[in-house]
Amino acid sequence: MKDTYILAIESSCDETSVSINKNGREEIATVVLTQMDIHAQFGGVVPEVASRHHIENITMVIEECLTKANMTMEEIDAVAVTYGPGLIGSLLIGLQAAKTLAYIYHKPLIPVHHIAGHIYANALVESMKFPLIALVVSGGHTELIYMKEDYSFEKIGGTLDDAVGEAYDKVARVIELPYPGGPRVDQLAHEGEDTYHLPIPLDDESYDFSFSGLKSAVINLAHNEKQRGNELNKANLATSFQNRVVEVLTKKTMRALEEYNVDHLIVAGGVAANKGLREKLTELCEEKNIHLTFPPMKYCTDNAAMIGAAGYYAYKLGRVADLTLNSKANDKLQ
Amino acid sequence: MRNLFIDTASSRIILAILEDDKIVYEKNVENDMNLSTRIFPLIDEMFQKTNMQPIDIDRIYVVNGPGSFTGVRIGVTIAKTMAWALHKEIVPLSELELMATTSVEQTYKVPYIDARREAVFGAIYDKDNQVLLKEQYISIEELCKHIPDMNDVAFLGYTPIHIDGTIVEPNVNLSMLIKRHQNDRSLNPHEVNPNYLKRTEAEEKLEKSLHD
Repeated sequence: MKDTYILAIESSCDETSVSINKNGREEIATVVLTQMDIHAQFGGVVPEVASRHHIENITMVIEECLTKANMTMEEIDAVAVTYGPGLIGSLLIGLQAAKTLAYIYHKPLIPVHHIAGHIYANALVESMKFPLIALVVSGGHTELIYMKEDYSFEKIGGTLDDAVGEAYDKVARVIELPYPGGPRVDQLAHEGEDTYHLPIPLDDESYDFSFSGLKSAVINLAHNEKQRGNELNKANLATSFQNRVVEVLTKKTMRALEEYNVDHLIVAGGVAANKGLREKLTELCEEKNIHLTFPPMKYCTDNAAMIGAAGYYAYKLGRVADLTLNSKANDKLQ
Repeated sequence: MRNLFIDTASSRIILAILEDDKIVYEKNVENDMNLSTRIFPLIDEMFQKTNMQPIDIDRIYVVNGPGSFTGVRIGVTIAKTMAWALHKEIVPLSELELMATTSVEQTYKVPYIDARREAVFGAIYDKDNQVLLKEQYISIEELCKHIPDMNDVAFLGYTPIHIDGTIVEPNVNLSMLIKRHQNDRSLNPHEVNPNYLKRTEAEEKLEKSLHD
């Protein structure tokens, strides 16, 4: 069978990335240009600044990726692009570049949902066995998704307020960790002890999550300790916070696996890099004989390799867009 | 020389193909909120009607600002990607200079784009299209101080601003603009980027905090 090559572009937040994927499984070349250091000085991603950097970098990143792969646009079968969700100004740069390439080379244009990308990052590691449950955890998402086949996303639960990554970033700010705070909370959590009493967030029979209460509890606790003149043990607070988060995430995920009679779990998104979550899920899945796939660390942050993998399966299903395709800041995974 | 012209920076979308400075095709339509979805169907219509393909173009002229930041970026992304991929020449042009190709009776021409908060992206040209005040982000009040004769000036803009003077809707002369720039050196597409004339608020605040 003829090989299929997908050129994929991702620019939904502060990474300009291009990747070439072969047959879904193989990453031929990927280039990721991150703006993290630029946004660090602002304490978070500034959308207009991000857009300005994307446009400066986009053609260079495409060129570097093709050079690295030793390929030309003529050898590419389709162009995949993250159309959303994300920062609209940033998404538009990748989208217009992708449309231009698709148009001038007469290639199909494949729209990819950013979260589908995170899920399909796992296809770069091993083939996805359906049915499966995907736990999507990132700065913008906390969702449990049941997939009975490719591109069938049944959301069985999600966050009612903050995404888990968002809660991490806010807690990082409370305990004065520099941006990006999430990974630093995770690191600190491994140095402390679970001494602070914090509520387990939304510990009920649903598959939904809520982290705003836990976040507020952390803020109040830090405030009260300060009022009393007590020194806050940051490491212990990080550990206590992380344990509550991991507890509720793993508890509901394990229950979903049981109820849906699924023995393959994949974890996707930036928070999939969280060591606390990795350790606990690994332990529980071993116990229950569940096959667990974590994306390698390099696929946890935003990258086009995952868009290439997701783009390949979308292409095989004929999910092609026309040139009126628009970027969407918010869009349901479907 | 076969030229492609792309302008998505202002309230109009202007697409054109010119043989040297002679217009073969020109489309000038209102730029609404749907630029991102409309631009490629319009580009495709242009190539269909002229029976051409992007590969047939020798040089791309793209308006890189000032204007709507998102609008500018859409046109520039398309132009630089096309120029890079097809190894075409690329030359950035100014939206204000384009607007100033409008012919008026007055001696002075002040093309402007509303930048809100009583400020504009503006410039001042005389009758021979010589620049009297180079394009910049400037308060309307300050801009007016630079105009030699307030009774003999045409303000060229697509949207109204608070000003005591004659506002004329631009009626651009693409042929004149392209002729003026036909000997401009082509740039490396990677280096063709928007000319915003204004830093982001976040950068301005950061700079200020570092000075304080």
